[in-house]
Amino acid sequence: MEDHRIMTPQEEQVKWLQDASNSVKRNAFYMKRALDEDNLREALRYSAAMLVELRTSLLTPQKYFELYMQAFDELRHLEAFFKEEHSKGRSYADLYELVQHAGNVLPRLYLLCTVGSCFIRSKEAHAKDILKDLVEMCKGVQHPTRGLFLRSYLCQVSRGLLPDTGSEYEGDGGDINDALEFLLLNFTEMNKLWVRMQHQGSGKDRERRESERQQLADLVGKNLTYISQLEGLDFKRYQEVVQGRMMEQVVSCKDEIAQQYLMQCIIQGFPDEFHLGTLPTLLAALPELQSGVKVHLVLASLLDRLSRFAATDASVVDQFNSSDAFGQLLAAVTRVSEQHTEMPGADIAAMYIALANFVGAVYPDHVDYINRVLESCHEALAGHGDTKEDRTEKQIVALLTLPLNSYDPVTVLGLSTYPRVMSLLKPATCKAMAVKIVQTILKVGTEISEPAQVEMLLDFIAPLVADSPTNGEEDDDEDFEDEQGLVARLIHRLSAENPAHHYALLQTARERFSAGGARRLRHTLPPIAFAALGIVHRLAAAPNAEACEPSPKEVLQFVHQCAAQLAEAGDSAEMALQLFLTAAQSASGHACLEIIAYEFFEQAFILFEEAIPDSASERVALASITGALQRCRIFPPEPRATLVHKATGYSAKLLRKADQCRAVLACSHLYWQDAVDEEDVDHANNGEGEERSAGAEAENGASPLAENEEDGSGANPLQPPVQDGEHVMMCLKRALKIAHAAQQQLAVALRSSDTLPAWLFVEILNHYLYYYDQGLTSISASVLQNLLELVANEMAGENCQADAGLVAFYNNTLAHITAQKTKPEKASLYDVLQI
Amino acid sequence: MVLVLCIGDLHIPHRATDVPVKFKTLLVPGKIHHILCPGNLCTREVYDYLKTICTDMHITRGNFDEASAKYPEDEVMKIGNFRVGLCHGHQVTPWGSNEALALVQRKLDVDILISGHTHEFKAFKFEDRILINPGSATGAYSDVIEAPKPSFVLMDIDGSKATVYIYELIDDEVKVEKVEFTKDDL
Repeated sequence: MEDHRIMTPQEEQVKWLQDASNSVKRNAFYMKRALDEDNLREALRYSAAMLVELRTSLLTPQKYFELYMQAFDELRHLEAFFKEEHSKGRSYADLYELVQHAGNVLPRLYLLCTVGSCFIRSKEAHAKDILKDLVEMCKGVQHPTRGLFLRSYLCQVSRGLLPDTGSEYEGDGGDINDALEFLLLNFTEMNKLWVRMQHQGSGKDRERRESERQQLADLVGKNLTYISQLEGLDFKRYQEVVQGRMMEQVVSCKDEIAQQYLMQCIIQGFPDEFHLGTLPTLLAALPELQSGVKVHLVLASLLDRLSRFAATDASVVDQFNSSDAFGQLLAAVTRVSEQHTEMPGADIAAMYIALANFVGAVYPDHVDYINRVLESCHEALAGHGDTKEDRTEKQIVALLTLPLNSYDPVTVLGLSTYPRVMSLLKPATCKAMAVKIVQTILKVGTEISEPAQVEMLLDFIAPLVADSPTNGEEDDDEDFEDEQGLVARLIHRLSAENPAHHYALLQTARERFSAGGARRLRHTLPPIAFAALGIVHRLAAAPNAEACEPSPKEVLQFVHQCAAQLAEAGDSAEMALQLFLTAAQSASGHACLEIIAYEFFEQAFILFEEAIPDSASERVALASITGALQRCRIFPPEPRATLVHKATGYSAKLLRKADQCRAVLACSHLYWQDAVDEEDVDHANNGEGEERSAGAEAENGASPLAENEEDGSGANPLQPPVQDGEHVMMCLKRALKIAHAAQQQLAVALRSSDTLPAWLFVEILNHYLYYYDQGLTSISASVLQNLLELVANEMAGENCQADAGLVAFYNNTLAHITAQKTKPEKASLYDVLQI
Repeated sequence: MVLVLCIGDLHIPHRATDVPVKFKTLLVPGKIHHILCPGNLCTREVYDYLKTICTDMHITRGNFDEASAKYPEDEVMKIGNFRVGLCHGHQVTPWGSNEALALVQRKLDVDILISGHTHEFKAFKFEDRILINPGSATGAYSDVIEAPKPSFVLMDIDGSKATVYIYELIDDEVKVEKVEFTKDDL
């Protein structure tokens, strides 16, 4: 009973294949039975009947292939039988005649190929004659699918039987030329069949047909593979015979699919030396290809092969040079883009990418070649319609990024054509490109050492440096931060051996960045200022610092401007304050410029008073002020007193008593600097304070010859370390007072977040111990003993004992005293203390 | 065995472009158990980078870290048998003073104190406790010392034993020093 259901095309295929396959099986069965019975005539009849199934036009190439394989396997039985017959005395010439009785041309040719292969193997006939006969006769089948499979069968069974150089069939059987002729002819015929497929059937089936053709591509390509595997194929034959025939067929078939596939086949299939030797012919074919062919892919494969070839041996590059390979390639690419005006911009750019890749790999010294590539690309794309399309832009960005990685980025950016190609991009893409440029420079670690280079670089990254009228407010905040972070990091790549040159670079950069507005200055000013401080250090370390151009003073003034600008930029007061403090220490320590250092502190103080937003930041800022001022030794007593008095006063500004108390304790150190060895001072004052030992190492350099000018341009001498026990004691007592006040406050209301005042008492005790150890004479053993008792009483309280951290702190402090007692050099100080 | 990376004062992008490449190749993900960073990263990007090395991060606020990052002023944790304290050090006056840092150790009740700020690496026993300063991972400009070299510290803590490796970049070569401590000696 027939199935009358409507089937899907897939189901149909399965059914048709099934039917044909059953018939093949059935006929094969009878064929084999006839073979068993030694009945050649019957066997041939059934084999022909079996092969008739291959005449179907219903199957897709994939299904047809299954059927073909089935028949192929069955034919092996027949082949074995032929050999047997031959051994029994029947001649192949006879069999060759006999199989031609088959009524249908397709079965007849399959049988003929089968016998023919045996005939050649027996050497009773010359290989060249049989091959020529078969390859000609196969012309009898002109249906594309059937013809392709038949010729594929011919190719398959004659493999190893060709009169190739060194083969056993060479000689009377012919020579390499016959082998080549056979394969080339088969290739040409197969390609014709394959191309003809495109023109069968109606237009609406085009897509399906093209996909079917893709499936058959390898049948055609196999001929080329076999050609490339011939032993006798040398360069001369390739150049004189093979390449010409292949290219002629490729070009003249005027078929996109065939051209795309075969060009790749040729490029991948034959050796590098062949391609290099025949480059003009190969390249001449490119502009001749159909407009739908993706030439950039073909070119990319070729260039990829050539650059890998170049990497194998240095002499290859010489060969490239002697044949001006680059010039030929560039000319070919240019011609392709000229002749195929309808080619998408992205594909044009992709060709140039392939070329730039090749240049980068093969010619590391020829940045001028990149210039030529970019120039040609610009010409090709400038008048092109779809330059602004995303796909094209993406390729242009890739093209511009490539040489940045393979050559010195600054040199590449300096190429005359680079900005021209970049100008093809939309503003938004320019910005993405700018980010790429910065990233590459950071990655490669290029040093930018000329003001002109800075200008040029900033031109390229202009979309990051300032708002442009064309790009709107679409910026994402996080992206913006990331971009500015990159620009900030880039500033450290501006660098020069000579401090004056380095300074010039920073000045150039700052001028340009000033146009960027507050949002950007927050990011760009700090690195400029720090780089400048590095210059101050280098200048000050020079033997004759004041005579330097610029002077340390001038650079510090530059830092001052940066910090001041930052302070005005809004939202950056803390950063500006820290910058002023760092600069103050540079002025004090490196440059020994008292007035400037004072000015820096003053600015930091103003910011502290006016602009610090929250109490946590206030603590950080005040601690930084105290720490910085503590170290300075440039100030004579009077100005120092003014600054220290102010800083100490700030501790009262803090909100919580605990913070006030700790700030006052920290301020006590403003009156007590480490004693300095005279030797160290002398050493430091020689201006060579490079060593990293303890003590006075940072207090580098006043030249003894320097004049102490009133305007502060000359270096000032360092002051002896301050050790003012009286004021230290005042601070410590004030801390105690605040701790007591905190205690009273606590009696009123205890909030869970508050520190127990006992913490402060133990901390104060530790500071007393610190100064006691330092030999501050105002702290006598009895003063300390009293304090110890006060703290002990305090600690006895219930809530103190409940605070495990506090108890540990207290116990650690007592353990510290006990440990000091055991040190022989400290025993006299600590023995008297009773715990 | 616990590996603890102590790394700080990177000052990116204010004072340096990046962590040296030779350090980056050493600091691969998946090996480190904790990161202790005394501060001054100074940006989210650096935070994100450290997080790729190890997600368990402890960071305290340096004087160049923005308030918005909300890092605490100090932190104490237990690693192996050690109590470890973390604190940037700008708030410890005089800067870099061992005696002043010892005071902080007593206050935090820690065996090991990791601090930064000076950009001068150190790892030694002081008054029966260990002081470690990993220096600046970028060799950033310092208020306190001249021309700092990039450095960081790796601690291998095994119960009561701490092996401290100091990595320093000198003339673009990584030099490693090793110091061992045991809790019983403290």
